[in-house]
Amino acid sequence: MKFGKRLKQHVQETLPGWRDMYLNYKGLKKLVRLIASSSEDEFVYLLDNELDKFNSFFIEQEEDFIIRHKELQQRIKRVIENDPSSQEEYENEMARIKKDIVDFHGEMVLLVNYSNINYTGMTKILKKYDKRTGGFLRLPFIQKVLEQPFFTTELISKLVKECETIIDELFPTMVVAEKMAKAVGTEAREGIFRNIVVALLTMKEIRKGSSTHSHFSLPILDLRDPELIRSFQLNSTIHII
Amino acid sequence: MSSANRTVGHIVSSSSGISSNLLHMSSISSDETCSKRASFVTQSSGILRSTAFREYMKENNTSSWCTDSLSDFLDYAENSPVQSSNLQIMSSEDVGKPNDWQDWADQLIADDDGASPNWNEILVDTPVADQHPKMEYYVRKPSKTTLSLPLNTPVPASPGEACTPMTPSSCGSGSQSKPRMRWTPELHEVFMEAVNKLGGSESATPKGVLKLMKVEGLTIYHVKSHLQKYRTAKYKPESSSQGPSEKKPTLMQDLPPLDFKTSSEITEALRLQVEVQKKLHEQLEIQKNLQRRIEEQGRYLQMIFEKQCKFQPSSSTLDKSETELTNEISSSPNQSETEPGPIKLGLTSSEKQQEADYSESQPSKLAKLNESSSLEL
Repeated sequence: MKFGKRLKQHVQETLPGWRDMYLNYKGLKKLVRLIASSSEDEFVYLLDNELDKFNSFFIEQEEDFIIRHKELQQRIKRVIENDPSSQEEYENEMARIKKDIVDFHGEMVLLVNYSNINYTGMTKILKKYDKRTGGFLRLPFIQKVLEQPFFTTELISKLVKECETIIDELFPTMVVAEKMAKAVGTEAREGIFRNIVVALLTMKEIRKGSSTHSHFSLPILDLRDPELIRSFQLNSTIHII
Repeated sequence: MSSANRTVGHIVSSSSGISSNLLHMSSISSDETCSKRASFVTQSSGILRSTAFREYMKENNTSSWCTDSLSDFLDYAENSPVQSSNLQIMSSEDVGKPNDWQDWADQLIADDDGASPNWNEILVDTPVADQHPKMEYYVRKPSKTTLSLPLNTPVPASPGEACTPMTPSSCGSGSQSKPRMRWTPELHEVFMEAVNKLGGSESATPKGVLKLMKVEGLTIYHVKSHLQKYRTAKYKPESSSQGPSEKKPTLMQDLPPLDFKTSSEITEALRLQVEVQKKLHEQLEIQKNLQRRIEEQGRYLQMIFEKQCKFQPSSSTLDKSETELTNEISSSPNQSETEPGPIKLGLTSSEKQQEADYSESQPSKLAKLNESSSLEL
């Protein structure tokens, strides 16, 4: 139930357009409880539907990201090459670009996160199913899941890394978090950054030691930078630990 | 698993879902269709009536398009009691009605408001037996992306062609085997070149772009939707492409209690954001690699187990203890090449720390993996 709760919370906090795109964990879990072993096919059918949902959404988003990635690069090029009329204009535009590219980076990471959460939920549901029915659905099915477009996030990760390179070039090297930590508790802005923080905290919760934690559970997430997290507050029900 | 289940399992094994299998069956000769469909339907009626399934559909009747087809499944099960005696009637009705599919597809496409079409209306004239295969295949909601819908029409034609030049990964999707078009940066470059040749995103037409691109398997629908996205990205600033209902992200300057006016402070805040995002991404990659390795090992063990069963049928492998099996595994040297090594991660300190939590001696690790993969020994 822990994962279910975290998933629900995460979905509530997530970008509005994404809310329906997550795994229907609660519904499937209920089904697993009630299901008889002779209905494996209908269960598989439902899971396949979920996979379709993930794939469609993921591929759409991926396409968008490819386009926007290119556009950002061109925008930067334009600003740098065309000497604008005033320094102020240049700075304004650069400020906007910086913000946009950082948010863009965040959005892509959120998509990878989306992929991950749904995968995790899938394995859990399958485990529950096998446990309940004594079946062997999990292993072959998860092999199929691994091949799905929504799980092959290599391209997105590549775009993320490219984005990081651009960001490094744009931002002059500066003294980092200390200054921030000193500054008044920043309110994490609505939107992307907030969602990133939520995602990180969710991940930490999911990977926390549970009753079924074994050597093959995912390792516990240790967010090494307490300042990083403490230096901002979320005005929500999610508490920083 | 019951034997009944086995039968069904066999039938659907060739394709990746009930629906596509139905489709496959309906396209073969009528003789084969009769017998195969008969046995399948006998099974499926049992499936469809299960209350758990219905409960699920009732409760999840929101945006999931599958409910349309599945509620029809249920209606079908109710309307036509499928006993073995009725099977002959069904199959003979079924033969010779392939033309209705297109009509249904058109009706689906024409339904613009995105609400689920009234299935009862659509279906009332047609013989009950026909409902299954057509419903399943053309079920995608018209309001959703048009990308995959047009791909459905050339049903028997190898869908693989549509994605080979474009998708690096396999085309086999979750269930309905609709080949999905997956764009890459390289393909997008080709697209942009074509658009520029035609005078820019506003004046370029999908047809023109398609022609110029000369990419095999690319359809005008792909280009059309991609062009639309492209135009949106060009003429709306970055922040508004986050989705229609997304609040406009407030700039740092706009937050009242804070006095972020200097660009260096803004930059600081952005840097912070990037660091956090990078962290999340790093963790996600680690997680994904681990998950892959876990399943790799599970599959490897499964393979081993099956080999054991094959070559040592007399030694009652079912009774073999876990330790026996893993000892066998660790003692056979020639398997070390195929054996995926201990889960090794990258170089950062956080990863190393996590790996330390993770590492164990190989045999006992395999034993535990056995357990977690629900293999029966």
